[in-house]
This record gives sequence, C-alpha cells and structure tokens, in this order.
Amino acid sequence: MTAALAPAPSRRLPPAAPARLLRLELRRNPMLWLLPVLAILFWLGVYRPAMANPPFWNVRATDLQHAVLFLGPLLAGATAWVGSRDGRLGLTDLVGVTAVPRWAGQLTTWAAATCWAEAVYLGGVAVVYGVTAEQAHWGGPLWWPVAVGAAGVATCCALGFAAGALLPGRFTAALAAVLVFLALGGGAFALQNNATYAQIWLLNVQGALPRDSYGIFYPYLPDLAIAQLMFLAGLAVAALGALGLPAAAGSSWLRGAAAALTAAGLAAAGTAVGLAGTARLEAHGIVIPALHDAASDMPTSYTPVCSHSVVPVCMHPAYRSFLPAVTAALGPVLDQVAGLPGAPVRVTQVAVTTVQQESSNGVQLGGPVIGGSPPVVYLPLAGLSLPGEGSTTAQFVEALRSQDAPAILNTLVGLSGQQGLPGGISAQGYDVAPPPGPRMAAQVAVAMALAKVAGLSPGGVPLADDGRTPANSTRPGNARNPMVKGSTSVSAAQLAAARRFAALPAAMRRAWLVTHLAALRAGQVTLSEIP
Amino acid sequence: MTAAGVDRAPGARAAARSGRPAGPAGLRLVRLHAASRRVLTCLLVLAACAVALRTALHWLPRSGFYSRQIPLTIEAGAATVIGVTTRSPFGEPERVAGRWLPFLRLGGGLALALAAAGALAAGSASAHLAGGTAGMVRDLAGFTGLALLIAVVAGGALAWIGPVAYLGITMPALGGGWTTPWAWPARPPHDRGAAICAALVFAAGLAIVTIRGARDSVRE
Repeated sequence: MTAALAPAPSRRLPPAAPARLLRLELRRNPMLWLLPVLAILFWLGVYRPAMANPPFWNVRATDLQHAVLFLGPLLAGATAWVGSRDGRLGLTDLVGVTAVPRWAGQLTTWAAATCWAEAVYLGGVAVVYGVTAEQAHWGGPLWWPVAVGAAGVATCCALGFAAGALLPGRFTAALAAVLVFLALGGGAFALQNNATYAQIWLLNVQGALPRDSYGIFYPYLPDLAIAQLMFLAGLAVAALGALGLPAAAGSSWLRGAAAALTAAGLAAAGTAVGLAGTARLEAHGIVIPALHDAASDMPTSYTPVCSHSVVPVCMHPAYRSFLPAVTAALGPVLDQVAGLPGAPVRVTQVAVTTVQQESSNGVQLGGPVIGGSPPVVYLPLAGLSLPGEGSTTAQFVEALRSQDAPAILNTLVGLSGQQGLPGGISAQGYDVAPPPGPRMAAQVAVAMALAKVAGLSPGGVPLADDGRTPANSTRPGNARNPMVKGSTSVSAAQLAAARRFAALPAAMRRAWLVTHLAALRAGQVTLSEIP
Repeated sequence: MTAAGVDRAPGARAAARSGRPAGPAGLRLVRLHAASRRVLTCLLVLAACAVALRTALHWLPRSGFYSRQIPLTIEAGAATVIGVTTRSPFGEPERVAGRWLPFLRLGGGLALALAAAGALAAGSASAHLAGGTAGMVRDLAGFTGLALLIAVVAGGALAWIGPVAYLGITMPALGGGWTTPWAWPARPPHDRGAAICAALVFAAGLAIVTIRGARDSVRE
C-alpha cells in the first residue's frame, strides 16, 4: 500500500462544524469581559433616564433606540479588537489554510461578538419593558425603535470588526470607537442643520416631535424605522462583505459572492438614504411616501377617562395619572364659563393640534383649539413638561393654567389669541399686539375679569387692584411656544372695568354674561356698559 | 575576562559605570523607546484630532449639547491614542533589562499629554470652543488619566476602553446637568472640584503607569 492509494482528505465540512465554531468563539470572545462595562453604561445612559420619565411606552422606546449612542462606540472598538486578532497575533497565514474559508471564520467571529452585544441590549430592553409593563396604564411595547436599536448594535459591531480585520493595528480599536462616536454626534448635528438626508440618522426616532406625542393616539409610524433598518442592514452587509474581498478570504466563487454582497449592501444603504430624503414631518410622525401605509393614519381606539367636574375633562387612558392635575389646572376657568352660551362643554385630550416644522430640526406645536358644536376644547399635552419629565405636578398645573386657560376665555369673549389674553392658543405665538379698539377693549376687560376671578394672572397683565397701567412685557417661554412675547396693551379704563366686573357677585356676573355674551362677542359692548 | 565593552566609546563606558545613559546613547534610548511605542503615529493622530477639532468648531453651534459633545469626543480620541502608546511590544524582557523604563514612561506620557493639549489648543485657536481652553485641558487630562489607568489594569492595547466608556457616561451627565465633580466634562470650566478630580485622575494614571507600566497581555 502506498500513500497514493490513501483516500484524499475531504474538504467538506461536517454539518455541525459552523455551530461548533460559533460555540468556540462565543466562549473565548473578549466581549465577555466587556459585559459589565456595557451593563453599567446601559444602566446610566438608558435605564436611569428612562425610569425618570413618565411610564409611556413611546418615551421608553425612544430611550431604547438611543441606547446605541452609549453602547455603539464601545462595541465598535471591542469588535475592532476582535477583528484584528489574527493580524495582531500573526495568525493570518495559519488560519488561511484551515478547512473553513477565512471569510466564513471571520463571519463566525463577528457573529459571536454580536451575539454577546445583542444579549446585553435585548436584556436591557427586557428589563425596561418589563418595568414599564408594571407602571404603564395603557398600551404595549413599541418594537420598531427596538429593532432599529438592535440593528444599530449589529452594525456598529460589523463596522468595527471590518475595520479591525482590514486594518489591524494598535490604534485601530481606539479610532474605530471614537469614529463611531463622532459619526453618531455628527449625524445629530447634520440633522440640526437641516440636512434632509440626515433623517436617516440612527438616533432619529420621529424627527423633532416630542417623545410623548407619537404612538399613543395614532399607531407608531414605522416609515423612518424601515428606512433606518434598510440603511443599517446595508452598511453591515457591505462591511462584512468587504471582509471577503481580499485574495486570502477564500475561493474566487466566495470572493465573487462577497463582492456582490458588498455592492448590494451599499445599494441598500444608498436607497435608504434617498428614501429618508423624501421624509416629511406630519402630525403623528415622519412619513416617507414610498414606505407609508395608509392604515397607520387611522386613530387608535380607546376609551377615555373623564373627570366628574361640571365641564368634564376627558383624557387618554395612558395619561390617566395626569387627569387630576389637568382638572385642577383648567377647573377654575371652566367653572366660571360652564353653561354660558358658546362655552365649551367638554375638554378632550388630543395628540397635537397643529405641527409646524422649523429650522434647526425644531418644531412648533399648536396649543388648544376650541371647536365643534357644542364647543369642545381639544387639548394637547405634547410639548409640555409633564410631571416627572423635569417638572413637578405644581409646575405642570401652573404651566397648563397660564398657557391654556386664557385660550378658553379668549374664545368665550370672541377674541383671537393675538387680541386677547396671552396664552397658548396660537401656533404662531404672540407678538406685541396692537392696542385693542374700543369694542374689543370690552372683550379684553371681561376676559381679564374672568381670569382674575379664576385665579389666573395671564401674560404679565397685572390684575392687582393698584390701577397700574402695564407696559408691554415678556414672559418666559415654554416647550410648546418657545418664547411667547408681549401681551395686550391695556388701558386704565380697561383695568377699571375689569376690576369692576370681577368685583360683582358671581350670580350677577353670570346673569350679565348670559344676557350680553353674544353682543360682547360681536363687539357691540363698550367698556362703559360693563357693570 | 571577556571582550565585552572593548568597542565602546569612553563616554559610553563611563555612562555604563555610572548607570546613566550618556548624551547620544540616551537620545538613542529615547528614540528607540518612542519607536517601540509608535509615538510618531500617535503624534500624527493627535495632529489629525486638532484638524478635526478645527473643522468641527467651524460648523458647531456656540452653545448647547453638541457644542460640548463633539469636542469632548475628539479630546477622548486624543486620550485614547496616548493610552494605546503605552503598550510595549517586548513585555517581560524589557521590564527586566530596562532600568530607565519608568523615566521613559513618565517622560513619554507627559510629553504626549502636552503635545495633545498643544495640538487641541492650536486646533481651537481663533474659534469658539465651548468651555474654553481651560476646560479642554481639564477634560483631556482626565481622559488621559483614565486611559493610563486602564492601560495598567487591562493592557495598553485596551486603554481606549476607559475614555470611551467614560465618554458614554458623560452624555447623560451633560444632558442631565450632573453636579458631581467626578463628571468633570459636565461641569463649568472654572469648577474647582471638577479640575481637582480630573487632575487627580491624571496624576494617578501617570504615576501608576510610570511605576508599573502597561499590563502585558498574555495573548500579545
């Protein structure tokens, strides 16, 4: 028997070989040592801020998508370190002659590192969503932001791994981590500078809309998330495909497949960027026409929770815990106007009333709108700092009262936002209003009197009894109207009429309003006619 | 009697007797140490950081979150490369034979930190850097100290983990207005407590890496 008769060694891999290789890589992966650091980062950067916010699923989901900012750079550096292993240890030639093609081996190593990274991320998601399920009053987990976050984690790993494998060196891991950090920060900055295509930025959830303004009243719009997933998957596939391009990666067939994958990945990423360029901000999220499903525009059905006040305040069940605060904020004004002709019969919470995109990735949200027959106050809370979001319940009540209660009074007496008491009714905000005409002066005086009786001090217009004539003033801005300027110019005669009317007994004031409200609204009442 | 030392110059023999490297030999030692640590590449990266900072400051807003985050990221990048240069390719033989090693480590670390501060200060000259040069030097010192500490614990090649992880922690600190001085990037530039914390971390990192050197990884 000679060696020539010996059977040639088979190059076919046993079926279990890839799984075994993956198991080996999982066990000896340096990512294991980073797990505590990643867990601490997740706790500090995601869990703590998420728990400090109200238990809304959309707010928590947004935090989970933003987790990539904290985990991504470290993962990119770690996987660059893993990817450069063969090059650093001088094993490139050795592993190039094994039964497994080098490219397949590298993909397995990347998969193992990514498995650990995803375990950390998805474990964090499970904890955050588990706690939210205990706390939330309504709704369920949003999975699109989580999917984008998970894809972001995998892509950071792929980019870092490719950098390490293609450019092994002592500085590669450090630079990969820092470059991913810069890319994440730069994307936000590009978005702020109105770069249209920057909408694809990984941490962009629904444009400039506040986190609590989407995914509750209407379904979560997945358009941008789909484009982001396409972009991230394309980048990851391109990076991993590039690993198979060098001659040592495998056979020519394998390298051809790698080249095709790289091209496909780049094409997908480019297409996603192009789609993001067509995105537009609408009231309930970002809409990309090519990806938009009209079914997402249908409102979500829910049974509102209502207060038992004279004018009921009805809110979305997700906001159930804020019902007492909203009732306390608007109750005094609603009590004054209840039952008057043209006065609102109900307050209904809505997601937003108007949305206007502004420069620097800003957004202007409209205040409450009164409409319908019988009149209903449509009250948005998006853009206000809710209790737990950096303000106390007392601050929230005060903000809501000062911004939205005047709008009810203005509408009652027939004034627009710019003519009447400063509040939050106008989406455009307030400028210094021209002095009201003699007819309008009576409307302003009545509104001021009702505001005083209800305990409001709107817009810097002093309602004290000292008779001072106020100058135009400014008051601090808020999230809904970033800087609300000025107030109505008020004359001494108006102040006197307002004080006079406010001093009337409640029954007499109410009787006069019932009789004269229509005339007042039509501008047919003068200051001297106010009792 | 051996022939060892016969071909040495008289100055070198005197230096060998006194235990100090003489002028040309000392310079050669410094040059070889710098080459083994890839100091030249490090300096090139620091120069690139300065260019990146200058470019970023041209576009960045003068205030707000991103006016702090991107310069901080670049400062952390400079610190990571300083940390990575502490890695020795020789390991144990160098530790045994190199009696001047602590001084070389100290000098190398200090020189690179100063070079980084100078490069970033030059990069931010004639531009508005949120926090100013004093804040930049404080943050850079703290990041560098972290990188050196991690180099001692985990190895020079993994020294980047410290600044990058700490940078991740500073993001919620910047947004949330943390008041602890240990989150020094989130503090105003003239905050004394933050400056002391950053200086302490830098001093600790430099001292420990001078005495012990970066950890030699078994797998390297």
